[in-house]
Amino acid sequence: MSTDMKTTPGTTATDAVVVATDLTKIYGEGDSEVRALDGVSVSFPKGQLAAVMGPSGSGKSTLMHILAGLDQPTSGSVLVDGTELAGLNDQKLTLLRRDKIGFVFQFFNLLPMLTAKENIELPMKIAGSTPDPEWQATLVEATGLGTRMSHKPAELSGGQQQRVAVARALLSKPAVIFGDEPTGNLDSKTSSEVLALLRRAVDEFGQTVIMVTHDASAAAIADRTLFLRDGKIVRDAGHLSAGEILDTIKTLE
Amino acid sequence: MIGLVLRGLSTRKLRSALTAVAILLGVTMISGTLVLTDQIDRAFVQIFEQGNSKIDVVVKQKPPFKDDQTEVYLNADLVTAVRAADGVQIAEPYIQVQGYVIVDGKPMDQTGGAPSFVFSSVSEALNPYTPIEGRLPTASGEIAIATQIAEKSKAKVGQSVTLATQDGIKPVKIVGIVQYGDGTTSLGGSTTVLAPLIDVQNWWSLQGKASYIYAKAKDGVSADELKANVRAALPQKDVIVQTGKENADEQASVLNNLIGKIIRYALLAFAGVAVLVGAFIIYNTFSITVAQRTREFAMLRTIGASRRQILGTVVGEAFIIGLVASVIGIGLGLVFAWGLNKLFGAIGFGLPATGLILSWQTVAVSLAVGVGITVLASIFPALRATKIAPIAALREGATLPVGRFQKLTPVIAIVIAVLGAAGMVFGLTSDADTTSRLLTLAGGAILIFMAVAMLARFIVRPVVGVLAVPITKVAGGVGKLASENAARNPARTAVTAAALMIGIGLVVFVTIFVGGLKESFTGAIDTSLKSDVTVTARGFGGSLPAGVLGAVKAVPGVQTASPVGGTVVQVNGQSLALIGVDPTTITDVYKFDWNTGSDTVVQNLGAGKALVEDNIATSLKVKPGGTIKVQSINGATATFTVAGTYTDPSILNGIVVEQSALKPLLQSNATGLNTVFVKEVPGSNADTVQAAIEKALAGYPTAQVQSNAQQKEQVASGVNTILVIFYALLALSVMISLFGIVNTLVLSIFERTREIGMLRSVGTTRRQLRAMIRWEAVITSIIGGVLGVLLGIMFGWAVCKGLESEGLSFVFPTVQIVIFLVLSIVAGIVAAILPARRAAKLDVLEALQYE
Repeated sequence: MSTDMKTTPGTTATDAVVVATDLTKIYGEGDSEVRALDGVSVSFPKGQLAAVMGPSGSGKSTLMHILAGLDQPTSGSVLVDGTELAGLNDQKLTLLRRDKIGFVFQFFNLLPMLTAKENIELPMKIAGSTPDPEWQATLVEATGLGTRMSHKPAELSGGQQQRVAVARALLSKPAVIFGDEPTGNLDSKTSSEVLALLRRAVDEFGQTVIMVTHDASAAAIADRTLFLRDGKIVRDAGHLSAGEILDTIKTLE
Repeated sequence: MIGLVLRGLSTRKLRSALTAVAILLGVTMISGTLVLTDQIDRAFVQIFEQGNSKIDVVVKQKPPFKDDQTEVYLNADLVTAVRAADGVQIAEPYIQVQGYVIVDGKPMDQTGGAPSFVFSSVSEALNPYTPIEGRLPTASGEIAIATQIAEKSKAKVGQSVTLATQDGIKPVKIVGIVQYGDGTTSLGGSTTVLAPLIDVQNWWSLQGKASYIYAKAKDGVSADELKANVRAALPQKDVIVQTGKENADEQASVLNNLIGKIIRYALLAFAGVAVLVGAFIIYNTFSITVAQRTREFAMLRTIGASRRQILGTVVGEAFIIGLVASVIGIGLGLVFAWGLNKLFGAIGFGLPATGLILSWQTVAVSLAVGVGITVLASIFPALRATKIAPIAALREGATLPVGRFQKLTPVIAIVIAVLGAAGMVFGLTSDADTTSRLLTLAGGAILIFMAVAMLARFIVRPVVGVLAVPITKVAGGVGKLASENAARNPARTAVTAAALMIGIGLVVFVTIFVGGLKESFTGAIDTSLKSDVTVTARGFGGSLPAGVLGAVKAVPGVQTASPVGGTVVQVNGQSLALIGVDPTTITDVYKFDWNTGSDTVVQNLGAGKALVEDNIATSLKVKPGGTIKVQSINGATATFTVAGTYTDPSILNGIVVEQSALKPLLQSNATGLNTVFVKEVPGSNADTVQAAIEKALAGYPTAQVQSNAQQKEQVASGVNTILVIFYALLALSVMISLFGIVNTLVLSIFERTREIGMLRSVGTTRRQLRAMIRWEAVITSIIGGVLGVLLGIMFGWAVCKGLESEGLSFVFPTVQIVIFLVLSIVAGIVAAILPARRAAKLDVLEALQYE
């Protein structure tokens, strides 16, 4: 499917937040060798909402983990906001994640004993920095939780919890936010609320979001849709409708 | 199901191992104690079997009442009648006293707990000692020394040395070096000198007396026959005739009661504490694992496992852990016994001991306690596991149903606390015998510990709320997280802390109690003594040579030297001290704390009058004007009219009579002098006078001259030794509770794996993660430490107040308490090392994907 590749938006190195070059990830050895990533090069410009799709085992999760500094590639290089990840030790990687990367997980991963507000503030508290109050107020407004900010996660719906998680990722104004199936554990109504918040993060707040998803309707809000199969990018398209996405997926299977 | 149990254990290795350690150390203490006391027991039996091996019949005095600590003597002339009995080959009087040789100015005695003996030397046909060099002493002025003294002193046969006796120093000559039996029997730290009977009698004021008469049968006459013959020859009712074997058994059992049993029960009490702490940890661990395995149990239920089978898997796991831990504990017990014996030796209580003895009783008791307690502690968690509904298998994040009992916890805890308090009050105030009082006291304390452990969960949140403020200041965001984590599962934190609470609580209690004992002695010295210097006897059952008094009186600078003597008597079945004083001088050196009476009453204390210490008066139910009849161990009796009562549970704790009234009640020809209180001429130099007294008493090496400050120091150093032993034994319980903290943290971290992955992915460094876990541990240990300190103070206060009339005073140990609190914080930090490392090592990605 590489033949119908469109021009990749924003490939100029100057405004790219994440740049991956010739990434390879091999698990196992010899006969049992699996190439989870096979020479992937891709870059993501600032202010873009990108969706990474592909069937199970296509390497999309591995790609995201490597881009986010959670996993190391077998070969290749990753630049996040100008910093080369290769060769960074755990401490430096941790600090890089802390300062430059935000995460939104499938299972929300909020701490049950903290309130929504405390969960949002958690990464900055750990970093020992003080959130910008104006920015925090904006985010609280954006989540639409208002008075529920003093509630514990168990008292919030799944969609509310995930919006808290998005706000948590946004509070430190990271260079990039990675989403790992952010709607994977939500129904379609609550999904759309979370997706709207992610869209707003990019459009209004100028954030960069890269999300891995199975969900065609989630990918349909993206500015750019990447399709992986067998560890290779097989299609790198701009905004696609849900229908177009489903069509592409069919051709991949 | 057993397969499932084993599989479960092997997949949770670390957790199972940590749980096992909790009970293992308690079992180690139990089996070690039993092994050691069996060794001591066996050693005493061996010693006395050796001692009686050549003797067929022993004749001894029957004391009018039983007092294991007082020697009784019989008339040595009875030997004539024994010799006349049919079948007697040889019969000799024998006597044993305490004393020691001085070689080149160095006393060869024992300053610790073991005795220094002087035995009269009987013929080789009867003597358990055989010369390995030289011969047995026969003529006056000759002695033989045991091999241990020869080795230590390097004294040779033929050397002239001196012997410290009741009557001062006597010049003697070593004619032999002797060994006990075949030389393989351990005699612990004791030392032995053999001297001729006549010298021992003369030098210990025991003229005409003997401890025993030993007899040996002619060939063809059995010990039992000889015993019957000797009995027939001795019609006296107050004389006991035994075979050598019977005597050996009795002697061994007397010593065992005095030493072996006390060590056994004291050590078992500490082992009991360790087991109790272990039980808390096992209960907690099983509670946590059952909660974590909710879905697993629900799944088993959906595929058809019965409630009984679920109960079986949990209890089965406990059974196997208990069994393995007990077996290892029994093995480690052998090491513990060996170490304890070395420890006793090191602090001067060298005990005789045989090789290691692992009896089936030791194995049975250790297994029963180890397995029993583990299974018992797992039953409540196991019952909760059976309550899990099969449907829980299908729910994400299913939790245990709230048990019926859980809602009633506060009520049950309060009932237990009230029972515990009642037990303590009974233990402190009742008239029952000491053993049952101690047992109810201990039982009450255990119940209170349990009640506090059950209620502790309600204070976890508020306490953490308070602690969170400073911790967040110091540690920032991770400190806040640690506080939240500690408060997240209050019951879990509470029980983990409670395990530490028990150890710390007892440490604080022991500190207060022993401090109170010390204070009662030193305080009494300050308040009651008007004297400046006290002369007491070192060893010898506290008896001083008669010449001491005159020697002290003659020292320039001595204004008053007041003699005090004493003996053990029985009144209404109670053993008490009968104290003889010099009425004309006692009030110059001693201040009576009168209830009824005055110094004039003492000064006019004639024959037939007595002053009674207040507690004793209460327990004897006598009032001034009433009479008391005392029974002496020598068989004599005397009646006294109570002339007054005073309070002093420490120094003159007994019945005070005039010196001369004491004389007929003394059981030997001894002086009955055990203390001389000395008051100096006002304005004289205390050090100079004391030095002069010491010089005047140079000929009496058993006389110990101490200033009041030195007496206090001696008490303090004795107290410190006891405290060190108590601390060492309680340290084991504290260690067990540390394993409890480790275990809870490991389990909590395991449960929060995904959370840790999230924290790491959003930028928590490994160092911060470790700090978070460390603070959680510290919070737990602070809760345990504070609760322990509070309970310890409460127990200490209650016991000191309860025993106030017996002289115990409550002293608040501020410095020690600060130290204990700091130590509990350190304990938390140490306990967190392993769990923190494990958490920090988790791979971020794997942790995030953990289900």
